[in-house]
Amino acid sequence: MKHSVMLSSALVLGSMLSPVALAVSADQDLIKRGEYLATAGDCVACHTAEHEGKPFAGGLSIDTPLGHIISSNITPSKDGIGDYSYEDFDRAVRQGIRADGNNLYPAMPYTAYAKVTDEDMQALYAYFMHGVEPVDGKPEATELPFPFNIRESMAVWNGLFLDDEPFTPDPDQSDEWNRGAYLAQGLTHCATCHTPRNPLMAEDSGKALAGASLGTWYAPNITSDDNSGIGTWTHDDIVSYLKAGYAPDKSQAAGPMAEAISHSLQHLSDEDLSAIAVWLKTVPAVSDANDTQPSESYGQVNDNIDSVFLEDVPASTADMSGAQLYNAACASCHQADGTGNNGLPSLVNNTVLGRQNTDNVVMAILEGVQYRNHIEESHGTNMPAFAHEFNDEQVARVSNYILSEFGREEVADITADEVAVLRSGGPASPLLPLARWGMGIGAVFVLGLIAWFLRRKRKG
Amino acid sequence: MATTQTSADVVIVGAGIVGSLMAEKIAQQGLSVLILESGPNIDRNHVVAKFRHGVDKGDYMAPYPYNDWAPEPRKFNDYFQNEGPVPYSASYIRGVGGTTWHWAGMAWRYVPNDFKLKTLYGVGRDWPFSYDDLEPFYYEAEVKMGVSGPEDNGSPRSKPFPMPELAPSWALSRVRDRLEGIGYKVIGNTAARNSQNYDGRPACVGNNNCMPVCPVDAQYHGGISAQSAKQAGVNIITEAIVYKIEHAKNSDKIEAIHYYTPNKDSFRVTGKTFVLAANAIETPKLMLMSKSDRFPNGIGNSNDMVGRHLCDHPRAKVSFEVDEPIWPGRGPMSEYSIQSERDGEWRSESAAFRIDFSNTNPVRGITDKLIKQGVYGEELEQQIRHKSAHSMGMKNIVEQLPDPNNRVMLGDRLDTLGIPNPKFYYSVSDYTRRGNARAREIFTTIAKRLGAKELSFSAEDKFSLANHITGTLGMGDDRATTVCNGEGRSHFHDNLFLAGTGVLPTVATVNSTLTAVAVGLRTAEFIIEDLV
Repeated sequence: MKHSVMLSSALVLGSMLSPVALAVSADQDLIKRGEYLATAGDCVACHTAEHEGKPFAGGLSIDTPLGHIISSNITPSKDGIGDYSYEDFDRAVRQGIRADGNNLYPAMPYTAYAKVTDEDMQALYAYFMHGVEPVDGKPEATELPFPFNIRESMAVWNGLFLDDEPFTPDPDQSDEWNRGAYLAQGLTHCATCHTPRNPLMAEDSGKALAGASLGTWYAPNITSDDNSGIGTWTHDDIVSYLKAGYAPDKSQAAGPMAEAISHSLQHLSDEDLSAIAVWLKTVPAVSDANDTQPSESYGQVNDNIDSVFLEDVPASTADMSGAQLYNAACASCHQADGTGNNGLPSLVNNTVLGRQNTDNVVMAILEGVQYRNHIEESHGTNMPAFAHEFNDEQVARVSNYILSEFGREEVADITADEVAVLRSGGPASPLLPLARWGMGIGAVFVLGLIAWFLRRKRKG
Repeated sequence: MATTQTSADVVIVGAGIVGSLMAEKIAQQGLSVLILESGPNIDRNHVVAKFRHGVDKGDYMAPYPYNDWAPEPRKFNDYFQNEGPVPYSASYIRGVGGTTWHWAGMAWRYVPNDFKLKTLYGVGRDWPFSYDDLEPFYYEAEVKMGVSGPEDNGSPRSKPFPMPELAPSWALSRVRDRLEGIGYKVIGNTAARNSQNYDGRPACVGNNNCMPVCPVDAQYHGGISAQSAKQAGVNIITEAIVYKIEHAKNSDKIEAIHYYTPNKDSFRVTGKTFVLAANAIETPKLMLMSKSDRFPNGIGNSNDMVGRHLCDHPRAKVSFEVDEPIWPGRGPMSEYSIQSERDGEWRSESAAFRIDFSNTNPVRGITDKLIKQGVYGEELEQQIRHKSAHSMGMKNIVEQLPDPNNRVMLGDRLDTLGIPNPKFYYSVSDYTRRGNARAREIFTTIAKRLGAKELSFSAEDKFSLANHITGTLGMGDDRATTVCNGEGRSHFHDNLFLAGTGVLPTVATVNSTLTAVAVGLRTAEFIIEDLV
């Protein structure tokens, strides 16, 4: 009796409240989905200042050869996007146009976000309006020097290169493939870094994901080519890499990729990571004839590890050989024979030592392999940065030693000058003089260059 | 001998862990800070290379640069001179970063009762402040140095360690299990060693050569402190061998510090406040050398207390074979210990101690010994394998009471710059010997429990000293028997501060570095208060 009374009261109460409750819970679901999509889009990486900046409050200063680009506040406050209608929000994210009508610089990857569906845009909007803590305060405005301060000219470039059609599924492919293609081409914006650019600095669709330099770090070829790409990787290798930052016995994420994983990819569901892997395995191979074997197939174990002890240690570190420096600074973790130990990566059969482009070898030594956020399933390893311990010559010596000893010997020709360029943030930009000189004829080209550099420098 | 002048708000002698961390803290308040360091810069990669190449792996000083213009005790020199019944020995590094370049990283706090030995047990001397006064500075030091360890270790804490303790080695797990229930609880050490990524430095990867050098900087050292000091704007002058502290003509204020370069050019450095943080032997030496008409006993030494009350840990040792393979030598060299004997009623009669298990890889020592015994061939290999797996070493970190007769003095020999070496009178009292006797009983109980064979004790009148050099600049409220007050300020010179392990008035039962850093960070606040 008692039970039934309680039950009926609950039913009455339930029926009275249900429309509101349902609406609230539907909103909550939408917001939650929006949060997940925002994570996939890695919005937080650029829209949060370093050193305990509030999430999405902007203020991250992105150094470019043209000046500092400062990310904006995208929290729902008066200084952020609190006043944005859905239409304003949509136009900014998918077309690169702010509510005030000004063009965004393509540091914001709206050319990729253009692929996002209307439905997901609604979820993202719900999240940014109701799921994000509003933060007051406008970050400093971005002020690039003339002519790059003329935002309107981006419209011309957009007219040429922005494909603002949302993703359309391929009916001949599986749902999983389509899900992977949708995420990878849209929110996770893989191509932004991994696809080389054409002469007007738009992504070269004929070479999708074929690898490109970001000025410092190199985003490698991730097409299905066995030798130049990652065709030899298994589906599980790819999922492990995206989730934990490493493909066992092959490759470890570093630099901007490590950040993409720590902020974004590791938080995606196993189903979505699997879908991305399924799609990635089908990306048309782009091959370079100089690559005659898979990058992880280079190198051999050093079976003569005592030879380094035949040379005396010179009085100064400056005179130590590559082998001596390796033995002193690297072998404690990577081992004298190069095979690593208990989750500390082997350098033998490591993709980083098997590519034509050796920038990542130098960058890993200079900056270390460090994550701004913890990668949950990694071994928690953290390669220290050696920039303050080694000069350019020493970095070159160690790099060439490990390339010739454990990797692709033919590319072991890094010079101290090349290290100096990478240490200072990449090649000097001809952009500003070029832009001013070519204002009349080259505006579109130059703005394309901006897009290119912004993309390269996105991580500062 | 040209004299050039330079100046800073605060002038610190010694770029070791204490001097550097104080310098950083003071510079962060916008004051100009200059450190004078007698030795050269030290490059970890070079030290690691020298160690790996070196023949005598047991000589922890061998990989470090040696300079006869800034001598330090070495196997090949006779830098220390002894007059007492027990020869005093220690090793320290003169160079940027100082002696913590090679240490086992142990970063214990004292226990609260260590601060009031006289009041509670009628022996030794009380500190001028309490454990609670120092607690926040202990924590500050632990965050700086990246200390990990078990929460429940006998020293109360207001905040958790900055990182969790290290995963236990097989040896620690086995010994902890085997000794369960006999009243001597085994715990992992608190150490300035990363159990995870911390402050841009990686976690310990178990090279097991914390001494002579951690090859990956998982273990904190003074070189890292000096680096942070530089980043805070501190100017470090290396190869600046301080030889004189100068006071004002008509007052007790310190006015300048004089140093030589290796080729004996002299420089004079003026400042508002001066800090001597040049180790517990070199600092008293410098004060004793700085004699004048006004201060005929030397600077800060009007009561003749500088260099006295020298304390260390005159340890007893034992080694034996455990009845099961425990494979010591994986993970850090000092990994686990027993805390139960650090404090108790018996402290009025006999010395307290902490029991330390060795986790140094024993292969080298065992091999040397077997070869000397003439073992060779297959037998040699088998025995190395067996003994390496089963060997165990323990020692007691035993408290020594401050005795004014135990002291550092100026020696009779001069180095290449004409600076005298240190001379010692050192002895070990019955109080400490009783502690060692009690430790031997406990060693025996533990050894039995571990099924010991080939039990071997160190001789009763032989002491294994620990480089925990304390007391020589002791702080205290009593102006007659101490060198500085609780602020670290000299009793006789208002703008002269002392820092480093020497200011600890008692040695207690733990390694002295963490406490010296905590006290130094506390002293830094009084220096800042004076000037800001």
